[in-house]
Amino acid sequence: MTSSSGTTGIGRHFEKGKKKYGGGGGGGGRAEVLGRQQRGGRLVRPPPPRRPAAPGCAPADRPWQEPEAAAALRAATTCSGVSRRSRGPWTRTWRKNHKLVNCFCCLTADVISTVEFSHSGDLLATGDKGGRVVIFQREQENKSRPHSRGEYNVYSTFQSHEPEFDYLKSLEIEEKINKIRWLPQQGAARFLLSTNDKTIKLWKISERDKRAEGYNLKDEDGRLRDPLRITALRVPILKPMDLMVEASPRRVFANAHTYHINSISVNSDHETYLSADDLRINLWHLEITDRSFNIVDIKPANMEELTEVITAAEFHPHQCNVLVYSSSKGTIRLCDMRSSALCDRHSKFFEEPEDPSSRSFFSEIISSVSDVKFSHSGRYMMTRDYLSVKVWDLNMESRPVETHQVHEYLRSKLCSLYENDCIFDKFECCWNGSDSAIMTGSYNNFFRMFDRTTWRDVTLEASRENSKPRASLKPRRVCAGGKRKKDEVSVDSLDFSKKILHTAWHPVENIIAVAATNNLYIFQDKAN
Amino acid sequence: MTCKKCKTANGYMLGKGGKRKFDEHEDGLEGKIVSPSDGPSKVSYTLQRQTIFNISLMKLYNHRPLTEPSLQKTVLINNMLRRIQEELKQEGSLRPAFPASSPPADPLGSSYREAPPAFSHPAPAPCELGGAAPLEACLTPASLLEDDQDTFCTSPAAQPAAPARLAPPALPPEKDSFSSALDEIEELCPTSTSMEAAEATTDDPKGDSGGPGAQRPEGLQDGRPDDPKLMDSLPGNFEITTSTGFLTDLTLDDILFADIDTSMYDFDPCTSASGTSSKMSPVSADDLLKTLAPYSSQPVAPSQPFKMDLTELDHIMEVLVGS
Repeated sequence: MTSSSGTTGIGRHFEKGKKKYGGGGGGGGRAEVLGRQQRGGRLVRPPPPRRPAAPGCAPADRPWQEPEAAAALRAATTCSGVSRRSRGPWTRTWRKNHKLVNCFCCLTADVISTVEFSHSGDLLATGDKGGRVVIFQREQENKSRPHSRGEYNVYSTFQSHEPEFDYLKSLEIEEKINKIRWLPQQGAARFLLSTNDKTIKLWKISERDKRAEGYNLKDEDGRLRDPLRITALRVPILKPMDLMVEASPRRVFANAHTYHINSISVNSDHETYLSADDLRINLWHLEITDRSFNIVDIKPANMEELTEVITAAEFHPHQCNVLVYSSSKGTIRLCDMRSSALCDRHSKFFEEPEDPSSRSFFSEIISSVSDVKFSHSGRYMMTRDYLSVKVWDLNMESRPVETHQVHEYLRSKLCSLYENDCIFDKFECCWNGSDSAIMTGSYNNFFRMFDRTTWRDVTLEASRENSKPRASLKPRRVCAGGKRKKDEVSVDSLDFSKKILHTAWHPVENIIAVAATNNLYIFQDKAN
Repeated sequence: MTCKKCKTANGYMLGKGGKRKFDEHEDGLEGKIVSPSDGPSKVSYTLQRQTIFNISLMKLYNHRPLTEPSLQKTVLINNMLRRIQEELKQEGSLRPAFPASSPPADPLGSSYREAPPAFSHPAPAPCELGGAAPLEACLTPASLLEDDQDTFCTSPAAQPAAPARLAPPALPPEKDSFSSALDEIEELCPTSTSMEAAEATTDDPKGDSGGPGAQRPEGLQDGRPDDPKLMDSLPGNFEITTSTGFLTDLTLDDILFADIDTSMYDFDPCTSASGTSSKMSPVSADDLLKTLAPYSSQPVAPSQPFKMDLTELDHIMEVLVGS
């Protein structure tokens, strides 16, 4: 926060050989300002010539790189210069009367660690392992380019967190962004919370498209004028300028968590939010940074008796006193903050009894809940464990109302997955805007979508190599055993290093964002 | 993962032609077992459990990250170790009830009637005997035990013998399964190798490492004396780890400086492979290099898992023999 430009995390990224991006500003302490040229994406100036001849949009200036394959295939582009695929030729079939169109694919410098749409869906924020936050904005509809609507272009990039060193434990604190949560929009500026393992920051993202000219005490280039030389006074005039997007840290909520923060959730009262680590959940007020209230604490007196940790937590979307948190033992607890100051005693306890026929050494590990999400209606919640997604009715604690198998074919491979640590992967899940469908990721860059009304599911792949222009991709299938049919992928050939942990669904429309390691894919549903 | 072996497996499954392995299973089965239709594959279950135990310990001790290790992962691995430890304790507690007679002539047959009562693991129908053909077959305990479909993670409906299992049967307990497991492995491994492996084990908190090693040749048919030491050593190790409080807020330095020698669990294919005798001749320098080379996207050659299996086997043997 106090670092000046040049010695910030950005400098570190330079040392690591990552691309730098232009624009002013330093790292965490000062506002990140991206000029229009670098940021790209707006239509104030005419579209530049096609790349690679686009001036000022050289890929070396930004951390986002155009995938080479896409660059060759791209047709007419707009001015962004940011990596973007041409639209139209790429289609993915989801439902018969819908086409999922790949409208954006970009390669980042770092592994993406979180993806989140804003409440209106016009902004999409991603955080990566390098502590950076990149925000995409949706293109406005433009008559001259009717197909441009729905594309997401880079809107703002800033360094949110920097690596720190815990001197007491002699351990590094990763700068990886674990979660981003948007605040509901209350003005022209946008606010989001971003967190790494230990510190949460509130960022304000604002636009500036006017500049004051004609100051009395300083020149246009900022030099101070000699007061004795001033003979006349003038009133500064606001003149339009190229749109600039600034990101400035407004609050820093630090030193409240001993363990690694895994979740943050903004309350429906828009004033408070919770942050959850492995053993504790704290309640913050957005305005107050020097104190927080501890509302859940499951740390045992003797740490050797510890057998369960908190894995995720979320506030109810409408009831500001209700929150849920999930555990590594596959249980979900719903707490009411009105009952007591310390919500160690749950109000509801959700657990599905274990199926004795499928019991194994790894039953506990695969039952660990990696993500919990309330439905938009607030009536249901969804939990993701290693092999399945479960939908729970808040009124029924005994068992989920729906269970969807994500990759049941991995059940026989659990020992290998335990050996290579894949069994500890934390997949996220998300609802669509109407709560009629849910989505989650898998391995081999596959992701799964489940339609709750028709009970149909589909497996899709987020990859460039398998896409041909103007061809609709069939849904993928994994062959668990026996004879492998054509186009099926056998379990043994799955790439477990290509995992889709983070997905997000537009709050209103059928637009999804899928993070596949370094790549961000945005798919849009185009009704025929 | 710090272990190169595990790095190999990090991105890709150790995909093997399941068909081939099954055939080799068959060969091994027919060659070794009198009655293939025996009950639950107790030996493979024990082997599985031991493998998982070793892997878990490896994860806990070999992980020296720059950043704090994930508490959730640590807790889950610790729970796994505790569960296995309790299983072993319960099986060990059944032992005094049994006559100290020599195991039956068919050690394999006797082992299948026992199952750990604590875990209530239903028995698989076919006894595929994952541990019976370790050297000829591609024995990578992890993936092998997964192809052993029925035993491992998904179990079919409980066998009729399941209810009887919960009550302590009159038959020899788990220790016989240990000895029979050792027998099987012994039959396939040369005796001198196992002796060397036993002597190569460097650590035993109870200080009786010489005992199992010396008794090895005679202990083939009577494995009971080995088992108490084995049984005691495992919980002992574990208790030491928990008493150092590795789950506290402090770092793993506590374990690093604790009074246990983790060299036994240092599963480095280099050292272990080089520590084996010349009898393990298939483990050539080429195979070693193949293991050490970063994994490629090509499908795993049959020799590669074979090479890694031997080292794994060696490690398991070291643990089974007791430290």
